[in-house]
This record gives sequence, structure tokens and C-alpha cells, in this order.
Amino acid sequence: MANIAAQRIKREFKEVIKSEEVAKCAIRVELLNDTFTELKGEIAGPPDTPYEGGTFVLEIKVPETYPFNPPKVRFVTKIWHPNISSVTGAICLDILKDQWAAAMTLRTVLLSLQALLSAAEPDDPQDAVVAKQYKENNEMFQITARHWTNVYAGGPNINKDCDDKIRRLADMGIEEHQARVALSSYDWELERATEQLFS
Amino acid sequence: MNFVVIAFKSLVHNLLRMFGFGKGVMRNDLDIYIKTNTGNTLSISLDPAWDIKNVKQVVAPQLGLAPEEVKIIFAGKELKDTITISECDLGQKSVLHAVKSKRKLQVVPSEQSVIEEEDVGSKPLSETLQDSKFYDQRDEKLSKDIIQRKVHFYVFCPTCKSLRNGKLRVRCEICKSGAFTVYEDPQNWDDVLNSKQIPGYCENDLCQSKDSYNSEFNFAEFFFKCSDHISLGEDDTAVPLYLIKTNLREVPCLACGDICDPVFVFPCKDGHVACLECFRQYCSVRLAERQFWQHPEHGYTLSCPTGCPDSFIQEVHHFRLLTETQYAQYQKFATEEFVLRSGGVLCPQPGCGMGILIDEGCKKVACVNGCGYVFCRDCLQGYHIGECESNVDTSNAAGCVYSVDPSKAASARWDEASKVAIRVLTKPCPKCRTPTERDGGCMHMVCTRAGCDFHWCWVCQTPWTRECMGNHWFG
Repeated sequence: MANIAAQRIKREFKEVIKSEEVAKCAIRVELLNDTFTELKGEIAGPPDTPYEGGTFVLEIKVPETYPFNPPKVRFVTKIWHPNISSVTGAICLDILKDQWAAAMTLRTVLLSLQALLSAAEPDDPQDAVVAKQYKENNEMFQITARHWTNVYAGGPNINKDCDDKIRRLADMGIEEHQARVALSSYDWELERATEQLFS
Repeated sequence: MNFVVIAFKSLVHNLLRMFGFGKGVMRNDLDIYIKTNTGNTLSISLDPAWDIKNVKQVVAPQLGLAPEEVKIIFAGKELKDTITISECDLGQKSVLHAVKSKRKLQVVPSEQSVIEEEDVGSKPLSETLQDSKFYDQRDEKLSKDIIQRKVHFYVFCPTCKSLRNGKLRVRCEICKSGAFTVYEDPQNWDDVLNSKQIPGYCENDLCQSKDSYNSEFNFAEFFFKCSDHISLGEDDTAVPLYLIKTNLREVPCLACGDICDPVFVFPCKDGHVACLECFRQYCSVRLAERQFWQHPEHGYTLSCPTGCPDSFIQEVHHFRLLTETQYAQYQKFATEEFVLRSGGVLCPQPGCGMGILIDEGCKKVACVNGCGYVFCRDCLQGYHIGECESNVDTSNAAGCVYSVDPSKAASARWDEASKVAIRVLTKPCPKCRTPTERDGGCMHMVCTRAGCDFHWCWVCQTPWTRECMGNHWFG
């Protein structure tokens, strides 16, 4: 039964490789095994967003029932976004759930995820903390998202203030990522983040 | 000596030739039934090379008529003298209808013009319609060699138990007699599938339409036969699977991308195409997840997998393409969904599952035709008086309400164990009460039963709210 899925993925894989988005380095896919059940995707952070300049790696798992069920997609690269879990990388996107249709392809999925990076939907969030910040303190959200892009996705914008605060927590013996999550969750207020970490 | 050998050789040669010739006749002969409008049936053997004139010459004496007085009717058309048997695509044991011509033969100026007319309009309706009547105008642009390919009808044959090529046949709407001629050819599937579309004339003297005022004008009823097995009589019909079509346009399958033939064309605006293998897979996936849709008119069905609006498959016999086991499961689910949609309940006793339709407001339900279990409509536990208890406590309560035969209790222990497992692992959907297991993720539950789709909170067991999201989204 899985041969329909494999055959289809093979075809879609070629479609992505030949697409103009690949030519523009906006999306990329790589095969991880011979059976076409696991792939690695990559999308470039869209311009004029805090994700600009970053490269985001995705884990794509193709179910046996593909294309009648959606592929399971997750961000491997850590990202600060209302619709993507900052812990697990799980994505909240309708087309990967009930709005999936058999006519969609790897290419359309990757492009939809790229579109999700430029237009978040904070009212249907995956990460409640990020969504709250996005709505209530958007400036701080932009700073945080840009900082995460710099640290985890190779983005060019270094934020010295963020780095300093993390180093101060690290000096107290806090693991770097843990410190970053705490500071990000508390709008980079060192005092509240420290309080939460040691409570 | 030499002479003997030669004589022997020629004898063997002759024998072989005779034998071979005899075999040839055996293979070509077509056993046909001829039905008359007086109700008699004749069985005759035909040579496919014959034309209808030959047939009339054979049949007429048996009916006590002259050959010119006989009309031969097949598949809604009167067969003219020049048509050969092989052109009609008759199968073994097909039924032809012979009737006495009532209308006087018109005096025609020359034989030539009659033949021309015949060639235009009087081929029988059969599975080899080589024109593109059942396809859109667009097809006419296709190159000629594609048009020449046989345009088949596809049916589900209950005798062969599988997808087969079908033959279109016609009978009188009123008396069901096949001695019926149509005044015009059907142009599309609506003409064939709906009643009272194509007018015609019934030749059966016993037809009730003969008593009515307008006996010259009846309606045709179309039906299909399987073309792969020898006809088992006039009642041997097959369901047309009209969404399965010959892939004349060579459209690739939406799922696997291959160009296959035949294909399934979804009834959506775009006419999305899937190969039969992918259609089967689509149905199996949806069936396994119980994601068919109970449509009020068409029944338990699916729509186009690309999510097109208004694309439900109306003829549910298309699901006969599933395996026997899957089709049995399909029928079970369909019945259960129908019962639930009609406000009924399914008996909660493990292994029973009997569908019970109940009056509104009635709380006490007895599984009368099934296992005999008496239960509460709301909590699906053993029947009790008063409010339903929470599902943690009912295990004890059920024991108190009625006494159980000890031997029965012993034999039912395994069921009881799975019942306990269901009770421990699941919570009922607050809307439809389907036991639901949470296998990870957040507390936001969406009921997966087709048609329910209720959003609820695993912690509160109430509709999902912003408060749930704020307080205990991830537990």
C-alpha cells in the first residue's frame, strides 16, 4: 500500500527540486531514507520578518496513507512563533490537519509554512506564551524572534542586550537555552526570569 | 504400399480438416433466445456473420409469419435487415425480441435510401458506442484514434462480484418488456439514470400502456448487464458505476500521478481524477478512520479528496470497489451512523452494538432484538433511577442495580476487562458520548467521529474555552 505514497513523494520531490523557489534558495528538500518516508525540509526566513536571513530545518514524515492524510511536519530548528511550539517544534497549521487535501504537495506545504512565518495567526496559537507576547508586546516579540533566528537559524542580527542577559543567567549556573526561554517568556526582564528559574 | 500411405495420409488430413472446421463452427455459434410478444421464447443458434434478414428468415416460420412481417428488437432499437449479428455485440444467451410489425411498411422510393437511413440511426445501443455521446463536447477535439477506442460502461456485477464492463439495455418502464424501441438515443447519464427521460414505443401486446389513451408514447427504462458472464436471464442486471470512466483524455491520477485506465472521476466542479487503485486506498483510509460522511440523501459517502465543495459520491455502490471485508465494515459503519444520526443509540454491551431507535425523552433503553441489556440512554451504563453518576463510580453501581447469573458473570469476564479498560483509558465526548482516548498532545480534544467534530476540554469534559486554553492547555 505504501507504494502509492512513495511514488507520489518521488514525483513531488522532483517537483520541488525543479521549482523556481529552489532556484531562489527559498525552499529545499532532502531524502533521509530510500523508502521516501522521511525527508528533511528547509525554508528560508521570509524577507521583512524577524526570521529574515535564517534557515529553518523541518522534519517531514510521510504516512503510509499519504496523500490522503497529511505529512507530519515539525520544526527541528528552534523558533519563536505563535503557531509553532518553542518546545517541540509542533506546528499549528490547518492544512497539516483537517484542511489537508490530496491535491497538496511537499512544495505547497513548504510554501505555506514560509507564508506562516510572514503572517502568524495568534488567535489559533500553538504556543500560548509566544501568542500572548505577539498580541500584547509586539515590539518585544520582534526582538525575541529575531534573536532566536540569530542563535538557532543562523540569522545575521546579533542582539547584544539579549546575549548579555543570557550570559548573566549562565554565570549563575543556568543552562543557556533554559535561560533564553525564561527571558523570552518574561519580555527579557532579568528579575522576573530569575525568579521563575529559581522558584 | 506407397499408395496405402498416401490414401491414409489424405484420410487423416481430411479428418483433421473436418475436425478443425467443426471446431470453428462450435466457437462461432451464438446461442440466442428470441422472445415474442405473445410470451413465447425460442432458442436458436446464430452465425455471427449473418445479417438480420437471415435471422428473420429463420424465425418467421416458427412464428407463423412471413419474414417481412417480423421486426427484430434489441437494446431499444429495431434492427434493420442489413445489420450483421457481429455488429450488435450480442453475448451468449442474449435475448432478442421478435414482434409482428403492426405498422404497414411504407412504400419507399428506392432501397438505397433506406439503407442510408439505417446506417445513420439504427445501430443498437450497446457497450461499444463508438461515438462520444457520454462525454463532453470537448472530447470531439481529441484525435480520431482515441475516439475509436471502445467507450465502455462500467458496472458492479453481483454475480462476478467485481468491476466489469457493462452493456446498456432498454425495457418498457411499465411492463418491463424488452420489446421496446426508443424514439431518441440517450445523450448523457441523466437520460439513462433518471426515469421518464427517453420516450419510446412498447411492442408488448400485454403491456398495460395499450389500454391508456396514448399507447404510442411510453418511457424507456435503462438498465445494465455485465458483459463478462453469460446472461442468466432478464433479471441478471448490474449497477452502473457511472463515475468510473474510460480515460480518453489521459488525465493523470491526482494521488499517484500515473495515467491509468479506467479512472474514477469525482463529481466535483473540476472533475478530479483518481486511478482505481488510489480510489480504493482513499476509501480504505477514510473507512479505517471512520471519516465517511452520513449524507441525508445519498447515504454514507465521501467527497472529493481535494476538498471540493458539493462533491459527494451519490451512488454508494461505487464503494463496492473495496474488498468484501471492507465493504461489510462500510455497511456496518453506515448503519451505525444512520442510527446515531436518527437519535438512536448503539447497545454499549461489548460484542453487541445493536442499533436501537428510541423515543425522545425515554431514558430506559432495552436491547430487545439483541443481547437484552437494559441501560441508561445518557450514560450508557446499566439502567438506574435518578441522575447519572460520574463514570468513575458506575462500576459499583451497575452491580447493585441488578443481580447477575454467576455462570454468565464468569463467562463475561474478558468483556468486563475490556470494558474496564475502556472506562479507565477513555472519556466520552461531551456531545456524542463516543469513548475517546487521548494519546498525547494538549488537552484540546476534537471529536473524530464523522459529523460530530466537537471541540472539548479533556480536563473539564466541557466545550473547549479560552479559559481552558489559559489554565490547563498542556495539563
